[in-house]
Amino acid sequence: MIGRRPQRRVVDVHAHLGPYSLFYIAEPDAAAMVGVMDRTGTEVTVVAANRAIQQDAHLGNSQALAAVDAHPGRIAAYAVINPWQDPVRELERLTHDDRFVGIKVHPTLHRYPVTGSRYAAVWAFAEETGCPVLSHSEHQSAYDAPALFEAVAAKYPRASVILGHAGITAAGVDESIAAAVRHESLWLEVCGSQMTGPLIMEMIERVGSQRVLFGSDFPFIDQRMSLGRVVCAPLTDGQREDVLSGNARRLFRWRPLPGDSGVSDD
Amino acid sequence: MSEDATTGWFDARIVTGAHPAALVPKSDPAAIAVHLDTYGMSGALVSSMASWLHDPVGGNAEASAVAHGLADRGVLACWTAVPPTPGELHSLDALVMQAVTEGVAAFRLYPRSHGYSPVDHAMDELYAALATNGLPLCVDVTEIDWHHLDHLATHFPTLPIILSNLGYRQLRSLWAAVRDHENLYVDLVDFAGHQAIEWLAARGLADRLLFATGLGLRDPGESIVRLAWSGLDDDTVAQIGAGTADRLFGIRRTAMADQLGGRP
Repeated sequence: MIGRRPQRRVVDVHAHLGPYSLFYIAEPDAAAMVGVMDRTGTEVTVVAANRAIQQDAHLGNSQALAAVDAHPGRIAAYAVINPWQDPVRELERLTHDDRFVGIKVHPTLHRYPVTGSRYAAVWAFAEETGCPVLSHSEHQSAYDAPALFEAVAAKYPRASVILGHAGITAAGVDESIAAAVRHESLWLEVCGSQMTGPLIMEMIERVGSQRVLFGSDFPFIDQRMSLGRVVCAPLTDGQREDVLSGNARRLFRWRPLPGDSGVSDD
Repeated sequence: MSEDATTGWFDARIVTGAHPAALVPKSDPAAIAVHLDTYGMSGALVSSMASWLHDPVGGNAEASAVAHGLADRGVLACWTAVPPTPGELHSLDALVMQAVTEGVAAFRLYPRSHGYSPVDHAMDELYAALATNGLPLCVDVTEIDWHHLDHLATHFPTLPIILSNLGYRQLRSLWAAVRDHENLYVDLVDFAGHQAIEWLAARGLADRLLFATGLGLRDPGESIVRLAWSGLDDDTVAQIGAGTADRLFGIRRTAMADQLGGRP
């Protein structure tokens, strides 16, 4: 019996906000997302607005900030950096607005490789400041295949990079694990339509539970889909806590997430 | 909210057998039993991986073997059909009659994987026989075009059709289908759209939804947590968890219970 009440605190490091043209999303607004979070035990969710990743980074980032303002303590914002839309301007904005807690890039949507020069300022900024970067990652993509992040990690070893979806497919998860084993700056995030508990177990067994992060991709995909894989996987209590919230609290130190209780590095 | 609302669910889709291209939780009989026990489920509908990926009709024996072995746990078989083809299958009507005799509770089609048109006139014999005998037809949306689904639902309005594997990108097409056809149902296997369950329920369509995990194909935790921690009231959760399945498979569930002396 699963019961109707969540038993653990959750931090969701991979979420979006707002409508998307390719398909209808029911209730994609921040208020509905917070309603779901209340049912799942989610303390805080870090969002990148769909408008920012799909069409206009600057306007979309403003939408993310509006959600932070409307739901203080529950929503935090990524600044989406589109390499084709004045990345320097958005990095400046990020620097001066502490409502942003991280950077989101989507190389596949923006059709530009993570190893390209237009992303160099992002990795340099992350290395210099400690600002975490969440990137879409997709097996066999010319833009963000997991193996491509090894070059980023080699050149910017202190830039913390989250491989969103951990490569998406089972083979992509294998490739993401191999990259994370070789580079301690790479973190694995668990959402995606092809993810399973056994794949998450492999991440934990080979990389360790302290570099695997919970994310859901909601409101693209309902948050409870990804959460269910973690909640029902045969993890130890400590491993589950690491994945669901502890690691996020440890990673987001540049600008701590709302509700941060001062988790130390020890 | 009552914790009891999450017990007694009927898992309307389990696929038994090895998956050749995914790392998913096991779905052999022992694993199915543990799955049912762990989450306090009242039963399940089981088809075979072999029917999908190896031998469509021959694989049905594997589904029935699991159902017979786990009959005391409320497990029922779901068979697969293909068009009548010399040397492979002589008569769809005879296949349905055999299935009824053996207590099978539903049929599943894989038109795209098995390479035929679901609206070929030869298939009408199957749909008519299923409707006559009260056996639902199950199909993944990845296996059938929406206009073919519309054709089937229109021409066989008393045949319950259960859609599976909706993903998160299909709500526009799904809405048109459920709006137009009262005989369409959706199971929760990868029914992944944000708030999609609540969205349908708010429009009076909770009775078209039924709980299913897709154990063997997907991680069952997805559907379990999705429904348990949904924004629905307890009665609606119970309806989706077991009530809709009772309506669709109730005759077979009752028949099995009678055979087992009142269980399950």
